Amino acid sequence: MDLLTGLLTTAFLAGGVLALAAIGEVLAERVGVVNLGVEGLMAMGAVTGIATVAATPVPIFGFLAALVVGAVFGAIFAFATVIVRANQVLCGLALTLMGTGLASTIGRNYSGMPARASFEGVSIPLLDQIPILGRALFSQNILVYLIYIILPIGLSYLMFYTRHGLNLRAVGENPAAADAAGIRVTVIRFTYVTAGAALAAGAGAYLTLAFVPSWSDGVVAGRGWIAVALVIFAGYRPVAAALSGLLFGLITALGFVGQARGWPVASAILSMLPYLGTMAFIIVPVLAWHRMRRVLAAPAALAVPYYRDMR
Amino acid sequence: MFGNWRFQRLPSAHPGVAFAARAAAVIAALVFTGVILAIAGANPIELAAEVIDSSFGSSFGLEDLALLFIPLILTGLAVTVAQQIGAWNIGAEGQFYLGAFSATAVGLFVPGPPALILVLMFFAGIIGGMLWILIPTLARAYANVNELITTLLLNFVAALLVYYVSTGPWRDRVGLANSATPRLSAEVPEFWGIVHWGLPVAVLVVIATAAVFTFSRWGYEVRLSGSNPSAAKYAGIPVRRHLITVMLLSGGIAGLAGMLEIAGTVHRLQGGISNNFGYLGIMVAVLARGSSIGVIFSAALMAFILNSGIILQTQGLTTSAVLAMTGLILFLTAIGDELSHYRITREKT
Repeated sequence: MDLLTGLLTTAFLAGGVLALAAIGEVLAERVGVVNLGVEGLMAMGAVTGIATVAATPVPIFGFLAALVVGAVFGAIFAFATVIVRANQVLCGLALTLMGTGLASTIGRNYSGMPARASFEGVSIPLLDQIPILGRALFSQNILVYLIYIILPIGLSYLMFYTRHGLNLRAVGENPAAADAAGIRVTVIRFTYVTAGAALAAGAGAYLTLAFVPSWSDGVVAGRGWIAVALVIFAGYRPVAAALSGLLFGLITALGFVGQARGWPVASAILSMLPYLGTMAFIIVPVLAWHRMRRVLAAPAALAVPYYRDMR
Repeated sequence: MFGNWRFQRLPSAHPGVAFAARAAAVIAALVFTGVILAIAGANPIELAAEVIDSSFGSSFGLEDLALLFIPLILTGLAVTVAQQIGAWNIGAEGQFYLGAFSATAVGLFVPGPPALILVLMFFAGIIGGMLWILIPTLARAYANVNELITTLLLNFVAALLVYYVSTGPWRDRVGLANSATPRLSAEVPEFWGIVHWGLPVAVLVVIATAAVFTFSRWGYEVRLSGSNPSAAKYAGIPVRRHLITVMLLSGGIAGLAGMLEIAGTVHRLQGGISNNFGYLGIMVAVLARGSSIGVIFSAALMAFILNSGIILQTQGLTTSAVLAMTGLILFLTAIGDELSHYRITREKT
């Protein structure tokens, strides 16, 4: 395998974690709820995946179990932020602390062990013959196809080409107007926040069942926060979120190549790259392209709770 | 019957109700943890008795508590200070690391009498924390980039940096442990058992900060900029300049916490030295509800909770379980906060 193919293969694989979590966060933020609990949800999903596979060695069960756990935590978070309308920042930070703490407590039994079963690559005939990209994209595990092709395209269609998508975006932009038009704001917010949380936990299971694949304490290592930042960079769009996940996969892959080839840089320094890269990616575009601000702007009602009966 | 009751949301919660809601959140989280422990087969009452006995039963317990109290006061204050102007400093963890890092650099490489070195370390710690929050601050002030995420991302970079120097270039080549720097010679003197003068320093910093924010014109302008930036701008207050000053102050306080941890408690730099103090500082600030003096009380509570977790490690509990419980308290506090905005009235028919 030549260098470029190897780099891209790792990039797709590594970026899947961020892409999936970022797509989930796009769902929540598009309906006006910022979920800062992604880091904790990923940790819970990661440990759920590994624990499920330890019991029944079928990786897809691990992934599905993580989705369910994510949905449960997401529903609790949505209850607090959408129905009670508590402060979203605090609830999100709380979810991160709870998820991270709980996951490492549960995960002590699985620490250091490789996953009992993990997702294997599935080559797609013909497509995998395409030079460079074919090998890199079309011989991956099935989740990669879900993350980079099915979910972004499906969700983009839902968001931008259907009536329901218009409704859900209206809820994030102007809930009072949406409410007046007969859209059920609370139901839509609750549903998409829960679904987004499920995907975040799914990203955790992807991490421990497809990418690493094992559990160790702190395995999530801030990827949840990077995903939250990528949503801003991606301008709240599912396809862009998947692509920016890939971009970060590329940065991670570069770090791996650096380590494998013995670049004279300490691995701790290489590990800083994704965080510093994320910083640059959310700061530089704002400075460089003022005009893009309006196109890529956050939903107007982001993080603003909606009270119908304010008087 | 139900129709007679009306829920009315007030713009601001009654302080008494808000306090009661916080107390209820903490108690509910403790009870919940107790129930979980009971399900796991432990006896929560026995554990609680052991915790209280180990914490308050002896001078040693109180000293341990005080050592956790010092950094929590300062990280909590750092978050509270940033909140005054409406900024979220989630990066106290990283600034703590950088404070410790900078102080260690001075302690290791600058020759001189210990007293002078200690003073230099003090300022190095503060400056280290300030530098670590500088980029998020400027990005927020000039490009309106959310400081919450940028400060947080730098936590990971800071942790990696400290891990790198303490296992790499600065590691102790003489001692047995390969994962920490040599012991620093300059130390904050102790005044009660193992408790060092960092404690009164931290309390003094809190009092000074509270006084500045409450009584000075500058403090008033900052608080106004925090609660209503556009009104403040209209009134001619330099909101951006205040934002930069306040965020740097916040970073400096967290850096000081890291410096005191190095110079007073641990004496050598090592990976994971922050012990989650930065994240727990968020909790301290939230429980203090924007009050600088309140930070002292909520830091005491968090120190007790953290210490309980350390005591219970022998019982199979981990610091991560403490983190989870802290999250639960925060979650219930957020819900309680919102609910305390409601007034329930009964309409007479």
